[in-house]
Amino acid sequence: MPSGTRNGEIRIVDVTKRFGDLTAVRDLSLTIPDRSYCCLLGPSGCGKTTILRMIAGHETPTTGEIRIGGEAVVGLTPVQRGTAMMFQSYALFPHRSVLDNVAFSLKLRGASKAERHRQARELLAKVRMERFADRLPAQLSGGQQQRVALARALITNPRVLLLDEPLSALDEYLRLRMRGELRRVQKDLGITFIHVTHTQLEAIAVADLVVVMAQGRIEQAASAREIFTTPRSAYVARFMGGQNVLSGTVESVIDGHAIVADEHGASFSTVVDGPNPLKGSRLVGSIRRDRVSVSKAQGCATASGKVNALVGEVHAIEYQGSYVKVTIQRPTGEEFVANVIDDDFFRDPLDIGDSVLARWSARDVLILEGAPDAGAASMDEAGGMLV
Amino acid sequence: MKHATAGPRPWTFYVFASFFALFVLFLYGPMTVIYILSFQGPTGGLTFPMTGFSLRWFHALVTAERVGDIGGAFNRSIVLAVIVALLTVVLSVAAGLGFRRRFPGSGVVFYLAIASLIMPGLFVGLGIAVGFQLLGLDIDWYTSALGAQLTWTLPYGLLIMFAVLGRFNRAYEEAATDLGATSWQRLREVVLPILLPGIIGVALFGFTLSYDEFPRTVLTAGTRNTLPLEIWAMTTNVTSPALFAVGTVTTIVSFIAIGIALISIAVIQRRRTRGSGEPI
Amino acid sequence: MKAIAWLPSWLQVAPVALILVLFFGLPMLVVVAVSFFDYGQGRLYPTFIFDNYLEIFSSSVTVRLYLSSLKFALIVWAVTLLIGFNIAYFLVFHVRTLLWQIGLFLLCTVPFWTSNIIRMISWIPFLGRNGIFNQTFMGLGVVSQPMEFLLFSDFAVIVAYVHLFTLFMVVPIFNSMARIDRSLIEAAYDAGAGSWGILTEIILPLSKTGIALGSIFVITLVMGDFFVVKVMSGGQSASVASALSNEISAIQYPPAAANAMILVAIVTLMVSGILRLVDVRKELTG
Repeated sequence: MPSGTRNGEIRIVDVTKRFGDLTAVRDLSLTIPDRSYCCLLGPSGCGKTTILRMIAGHETPTTGEIRIGGEAVVGLTPVQRGTAMMFQSYALFPHRSVLDNVAFSLKLRGASKAERHRQARELLAKVRMERFADRLPAQLSGGQQQRVALARALITNPRVLLLDEPLSALDEYLRLRMRGELRRVQKDLGITFIHVTHTQLEAIAVADLVVVMAQGRIEQAASAREIFTTPRSAYVARFMGGQNVLSGTVESVIDGHAIVADEHGASFSTVVDGPNPLKGSRLVGSIRRDRVSVSKAQGCATASGKVNALVGEVHAIEYQGSYVKVTIQRPTGEEFVANVIDDDFFRDPLDIGDSVLARWSARDVLILEGAPDAGAASMDEAGGMLV
Repeated sequence: MKHATAGPRPWTFYVFASFFALFVLFLYGPMTVIYILSFQGPTGGLTFPMTGFSLRWFHALVTAERVGDIGGAFNRSIVLAVIVALLTVVLSVAAGLGFRRRFPGSGVVFYLAIASLIMPGLFVGLGIAVGFQLLGLDIDWYTSALGAQLTWTLPYGLLIMFAVLGRFNRAYEEAATDLGATSWQRLREVVLPILLPGIIGVALFGFTLSYDEFPRTVLTAGTRNTLPLEIWAMTTNVTSPALFAVGTVTTIVSFIAIGIALISIAVIQRRRTRGSGEPI
Repeated sequence: MKAIAWLPSWLQVAPVALILVLFFGLPMLVVVAVSFFDYGQGRLYPTFIFDNYLEIFSSSVTVRLYLSSLKFALIVWAVTLLIGFNIAYFLVFHVRTLLWQIGLFLLCTVPFWTSNIIRMISWIPFLGRNGIFNQTFMGLGVVSQPMEFLLFSDFAVIVAYVHLFTLFMVVPIFNSMARIDRSLIEAAYDAGAGSWGILTEIILPLSKTGIALGSIFVITLVMGDFFVVKVMSGGQSASVASALSNEISAIQYPPAAANAMILVAIVTLMVSGILRLVDVRKELTG
């Protein structure tokens, strides 16, 4: 264990990881502040687990450097780095009792039985599992096993705890409860947590820093609020859900507003920040679903002439408690979603097949970087779609 | 076809069950007859009726009355079986672990093992016997026969280890590394204990396959026989129920070995999968 | 750098590899070599002649022996397949609790771990002229004379083979069947398939590797056997292997070796034939 320094800041510098022909991580750089809760978020295959395992020491980067608390750690064992990992399957040793599982690392270092059992019991009390000390892992439920796995990892006094999809094996109810516990434990201990997940809601619920990844690269690394309200690219916008993505070419710039029209008759405008965009250049914009208002269209087949509006047919209506998710299908086949507050919806409910007009304000249009169709394909596999 | 896990059974079940019962009878019937006949009365012959009930024929084995060197053969067989079992366990476990990674030559060794499994034992024994002869070495039960038997038990041991290791979750090893274990500690504290049931299975195979081995051993044991070889000699020389007595004794030994192994495995498995926890 | 990564594996596999090479690989090469030797008066003369092979190919006895062996192999294969398949099917699809499954499976396999010779011999009191079958049937008045064909005949040989080797069919087929995803069967049932349809469309194809493995075991065991056929036929029937063992007893190693090589070649052909139909490598490496 590193003497003195308990700094759990992680710097990943230009790391690439190749497995034969497959490049799992490309030239990735990231700084995770000490004592923060960081979530690596992305669909399967994006490289998030590979990064986690490289920080843990279970994989070695092909090129690049990893520093924890200022020290270069590539080549060091997990214990030498001061990291500990909680595995997706928990990996509790089936042939050892709960107590012996937790005390395992102390036994390896030659601690006496009395001493290591004492420490293990203390830690089990912290995760409220002291009653189960003499049980075998097979006798525990999923949530109980997870707490034991947590205790076992924490007994090594790590400065960084790495969690590999810790909640994915639990049912929905437990997931919600446990994520609160994880957050609480992290704050109590004051160490860095790195939590890998593919569930967007989970990530924004617990993390100080959310890192959205795709295909071995970081799409955006920022606070949860920033990721949700100001996604940087179409990929992040689509992956996080909660946004509609539109793209088109700039038609004109009037009054500090750029007017962008897509080929199918919809147009949006946005406040211009900095130099005016060139006419004819391509812009991608996103509008939050809960900032769209929907009304029955009377007879207007198109919204031509209207900016920040479009028409379509109601394709699906989903009641979600405090709001109703209205999916509008445009004549082109694309979908546009509005989250309507329940009171507003039920004042004048819509039906499937109704012609509707969707409107929003220019203030709520966010300009995105990158290609307009980034992330469209991965929407199907992103799973656990957000709002 | 309904394969419900509850409810009345289809009529086909009873057909299959009867068939199964007949099969079990087929398997165990003849052996049971031998056990009964080994208690044949002193004047009885090789078949029914039983003229009495006596331990005379067991007695005959011990006093070596016209039945060859049963005692010696028995000892040799047990010792050889234990040695083979130990060697098979150590070598198969090591090789099984080695096979987890692809290495150059893994295919060769694998197919060599399979070929050794399928090759009729007689030929292997022939090759070893002639080979020893050409080299000027004596064939003996603890050298050439040992080697010959290993060519039979090691492939089985390997296959069992493949099956067991295939189901082994490598996360256990990673967790151990994560908690600070060296390779040696990992092996001793995590891998081997978890694999213990499979290892016991390998030991059982090693012991019983060696103990009962005949084709490979018949040419490589030399002048001092193992038990199966003695029995083989008895089939031509001995025309008394002493032969059956040998059968009963040797089967009891096999059952003891099987019993020890199976009970150990059952105990270990029960401890590790017992019950389920209370909900949180 | 890469070689070092493999070093631990090499070291771990080396002992097994060494023993297999020393006690299997090399001896087999010795047999090949010896098949070309000359011999006489109980002595071997290391040379290179084809005489042993020529004698075998020109002898009519060879054909007779092979036909006999193949006959046994085929009949035993068919019977063990039938029995083995049904037993495995019963254990996998009709037995409900895991405990019963394991228990009954063990019940079948335990005899495998006892002496083959004893199990073979145990048929003699059953099948003999004064044996149990004859005594029972005569007692029941089914036959008036003891049935001679029961013992020291081809019938006895086949009974013994089936008794000893059915297990080698049951285990691989059981393994294959147990791996079949039950939801496939439910899906078929859902789509309207009857018992027969499910058997032919789903269970049979998915048990192919088990059947292939079991067949390979049984065929090689029967073709390579020399003592069952000798004892149970009372010396009347012969197989290639038993003729071989006679030559060995007479210290006629070169012709025995040549015979062995030819037998191995033929069995290898049969096994390759089976392997062409089904790929078993995946099954073996779990």
